[in-house]
Amino acid sequence: MTETHVTVKADSRVARKIMLRRIAACAILTAMAVLLMYLEIPLPFMPSFLKFDFSELPVLIGSFALGPVWGIVIELLKNLIHLPVTQTMGIGELSNFITGVIYVGTAGIIYRIFVSKKGAAIAMIIATLVLAAVSVPVNAFLTLPLYGSVMGFPLEAIIGMSAAVNPLVKDKLSLLLAVFVPFNLFKGFIVAGITYFVHLPLSKLINKTYNATHDPATT
Amino acid sequence: MLKDISIGRYYPANSFLHSTDPRVKAILYAVYLVAIFMIKEPIAILVLFGIIVLQLILGKITPRILISTLKPIIPLVLFIFIINVFTIKQGNVLFAWKIISITDYGISRAGIMAVRLVLLIVSTSTLLTLTTTPLKMSDALESLFKPLQVIKVPVHEMSMMMSIALRFIPTLAVETDKIMKAQQSRGADYDTGSFINKVKGYITVLIPLFVSSFRRADELAVAMDARCYRGGKGRTKLNPLKLTLRDVLTCIMFTLLAVLVVVIDFSLR
Repeated sequence: MTETHVTVKADSRVARKIMLRRIAACAILTAMAVLLMYLEIPLPFMPSFLKFDFSELPVLIGSFALGPVWGIVIELLKNLIHLPVTQTMGIGELSNFITGVIYVGTAGIIYRIFVSKKGAAIAMIIATLVLAAVSVPVNAFLTLPLYGSVMGFPLEAIIGMSAAVNPLVKDKLSLLLAVFVPFNLFKGFIVAGITYFVHLPLSKLINKTYNATHDPATT
Repeated sequence: MLKDISIGRYYPANSFLHSTDPRVKAILYAVYLVAIFMIKEPIAILVLFGIIVLQLILGKITPRILISTLKPIIPLVLFIFIINVFTIKQGNVLFAWKIISITDYGISRAGIMAVRLVLLIVSTSTLLTLTTTPLKMSDALESLFKPLQVIKVPVHEMSMMMSIALRFIPTLAVETDKIMKAQQSRGADYDTGSFINKVKGYITVLIPLFVSSFRRADELAVAMDARCYRGGKGRTKLNPLKLTLRDVLTCIMFTLLAVLVVVIDFSLR
């Protein structure tokens, strides 16, 4: 990492400028994430509520460029803005927020430890694995019961439908392991792959932004 | 295609609900969300239907707007209805063929579920999304979550970021459109080919988009600095939210109506 931080004594002016840059970058990346939510690519052979979109990308880049906490802030704002146009009464947004925070937070923290191209790849692979592991309890105790009670989405029906396609599905646990885990792994790896290729030409810019917003003298 | 996306579904009009304080509407949104989740009896749903008609009249929502709000959820409602019809096995069997059986209880339950979902969306969107601009909503959120500042949550900064994001979504949409056209003229392809090909096409859009976004963010930070923005402390608003007696009464009346519906539902069980 190049040491380009300001050598001025830590005063409120510098702190204010850093805060402004963080706010501006965070806001613009949020806008981009919301925008990318509309560029959905429907996945072949997947139910419509498991859609694939790029909206996790700006959040990941934000998490790399501003730090993991700001990645979480972008994730929160993205879901808040999407809430009025929700088709799942906010349940989709809630689960997207929880899984997104885990994914982006893990990736951001690991990337900060090894700032390099390899570091980015490792960070995203680990984040994807963590995401797949965490999606089991999140879906089992939160998303599926909520869908069931709020929208009248009977769990038995989901299991029945999935069993018709996937013979491994027998009950709630096997549904999670045989359908939701592979889906999350797949989604996580696709997002990780795209982020990796997008991140390569941008890595200088990302590190510059990180240095500009994390002046060691003020933080 | 990206140019005409709309964030939220605000419907401009001059009605009672439009001029109600957004904080009141946000609270009522939460109240009705919880109330509708709790009810299951047909009579309670009928009473709720009456209340929602009242909300529609107060918000001056025309049937045309209502239909366009409901259009995107029709497949979901149908899906939930059909799934419930086929999976509920209690009650008298009306129709049976091999493993499929439809019961009268199943149809009535499925109908209630579907109607409830429709009412939920109508009620929440007339209360909030159709009658409140996104900017007012972020103002309301800032004001409602102000107590969290005690535990050091940067509520003002979050709401500022939300407002900036809302402001920049159309700008970035135009930008994305421009980049997509520029890359298309160089031979990029987004619509044909396999999934991998489409993703590859989008990467050529995303990289310039990120670069221009970061540049925009830098310019914005300089502009905010030049105008002496320094956070929430002591900042005044052009249109501060004012809670009037009418707003308080509206809030109390609609909350009581929601409680009434829940009480009716529980007494019938």
